[in-house]
Amino acid sequence: MDIRLALHAITKHYGHGDNQVAALQNISFSLAEGEFLAVQGPSGSGKSSLLNICGLIDQPSEGQYYLNGQAVEQLSVKQRCDYRRREIGFIFQRHQLLPAMTVYENIAYPLFLNKVKAKQIKQEVTLLLKKIGLDHRCNHLPKQLSGGERQRVGIARALIKRPQLVIADEPSASLDHQHAHASLMLMRELNEQQGASFILASHDAFVVKHCDRNINLLDGSLAGEALGLGIL
Amino acid sequence: MSFFLIAVRNILRNRTRAISTILIIAVGLAALLIGSGFMLSTYDSLQEIAKRVEGHVIVLKDESVPAQGGVDQQLTLPNWQAIQDELWDDDRVLRILPRARFEGLIRHGHNSAAFFGTGVDPKEEFRVYGPFLKTTAVLDPWLSDQDMPDVVLGTQLAETLSATAGDELTLHTLRSDGQSTEVMVRLAGLFHTGTPELDDHTLMVNLSTVSRLLGSEKISQLSIYLEHYEDAAAIKQLLQAKLEGVLVQTWDQRAELYDKVKAQYDRIFGVMGIIILVVVFLAISNTIALAMYQRRDEIATLGALGTPSTRVYANFILEACLIGVVATSLGMLIAYATANAINLASLMMPAPPGRSEGYPIYIYISWPHYLVTSVVLIAIVAFASFIATYNNAKVNIAKALS
Repeated sequence: MDIRLALHAITKHYGHGDNQVAALQNISFSLAEGEFLAVQGPSGSGKSSLLNICGLIDQPSEGQYYLNGQAVEQLSVKQRCDYRRREIGFIFQRHQLLPAMTVYENIAYPLFLNKVKAKQIKQEVTLLLKKIGLDHRCNHLPKQLSGGERQRVGIARALIKRPQLVIADEPSASLDHQHAHASLMLMRELNEQQGASFILASHDAFVVKHCDRNINLLDGSLAGEALGLGIL
Repeated sequence: MSFFLIAVRNILRNRTRAISTILIIAVGLAALLIGSGFMLSTYDSLQEIAKRVEGHVIVLKDESVPAQGGVDQQLTLPNWQAIQDELWDDDRVLRILPRARFEGLIRHGHNSAAFFGTGVDPKEEFRVYGPFLKTTAVLDPWLSDQDMPDVVLGTQLAETLSATAGDELTLHTLRSDGQSTEVMVRLAGLFHTGTPELDDHTLMVNLSTVSRLLGSEKISQLSIYLEHYEDAAAIKQLLQAKLEGVLVQTWDQRAELYDKVKAQYDRIFGVMGIIILVVVFLAISNTIALAMYQRRDEIATLGALGTPSTRVYANFILEACLIGVVATSLGMLIAYATANAINLASLMMPAPPGRSEGYPIYIYISWPHYLVTSVVLIAIVAFASFIATYNNAKVNIAKALS
């Protein structure tokens, strides 16, 4: 299996001089194509910083980051933006749906950004809406949806463009067990169908159990690594 | 995907702030349109007065050409009947008014005063100048030139002389040979120009009375009124080519008051316009900056999804322009309704300096003018929103989403 992502000795500092804080220290790991990786750790352990770097939202202070074999840690703001638009899907803890867009428009937006033809957008969005069971809600605004429905829309938005990498930050944090399970199953199903690699930050043991592998962060350092299903 | 609809939804989501911005722009635009409508109507009425008083084209003696023989006071234009005959054949010419200026002393019993008089063709003169001349106590509107010719006086001059309609007065003046001459006249009526300096000293008599009194057939000027004043330049050119020793001017070359008032109003409304445009600029900048601050996580989400910054700018500028379109439409309606209300109410302005009475307020309503002003305002809104967007769109995505 090919390597999707590889981090070598990644360090991230915030602030300067005496006020400098190390959010990540000497982090190295890799992720294979289609792999489902959980990142665990207590609050403040650096999970979000790691996800931001992996998702090209932030840049590391030191170290090398390879995405599909290409060094990406020094890409310009515009290059990172283009990369995110084409190759990376994000699932946010608070779903972050665009409030003035309908369910349909939120899911279609990444395809629109990638200049996919309107007819194809309609076909793909309609199919995905059916899959997540929200085809009857396509013209609703996010504020008219329940928490679980919003999260499903967020997942659909992240996956609609068939990204190579999906970054999910606490995707089940705002959901009850039933919705968390449904969301995870959806991600897993799309992961298997589309072959996307997933990095999930989660405290949820249920989520971790369904991942191929998990890594633990403690005070910004890698504390341990384990195979998900086998060990837990 | 309709970004227009998305922009409308975003405006409705933040409707309180949007409404206040719309009202600021609408009221500002309405003030600008009403002010400029008043300014344009003032320009037009001043133009109309200047044209009526002086004529669209004025023929005078060219003072740079030395006069032959003596000068009959201000009567310098000879052979004016020939010019008049020539012009009557031109279809563009509506009326031709000869005017003979003279000055002297007027006496009524023991009272006397200096005067500036004008000999006129009464029928034509009152037809053209009438609407601007309030006449009172008129015994004979045609200023007869019989044994005892008629005279009309400015109201203040009549008051100085303690004269009333029907009284007999004496005009004293000098002929070109320096001899004193006088004539008994009957006060046929009073007129009121609204300018105290004029009403204090002016009088009008029949043109033939002036000829008889001064023994001269010359006049001071020939005022030509045209069917369409736009032909003034062409008529001027024609007369200049045909006539020698005369000076031909168009109305605007003699409209000093119009030029001064226009220059002053241009300055006043120019400053007012700039202030309103600055207020609109600041209002929309503030609205967009606030909107962007409150929607930082939305901007961050757009960024995380890979939205180019130009697309983010475009979204906010589109919202600002929509606010601008709604605000200017409302502003035009407010201006239209207010202007109509003011025009119908027949309100009066206080008397301006040098005048004894006010004048009616009239606000011009011109849709092309409304549209051009609105387009300028929308352009300012777009520019202000671009500046605000450019300065606020650079959001730290990681920080905003944390």
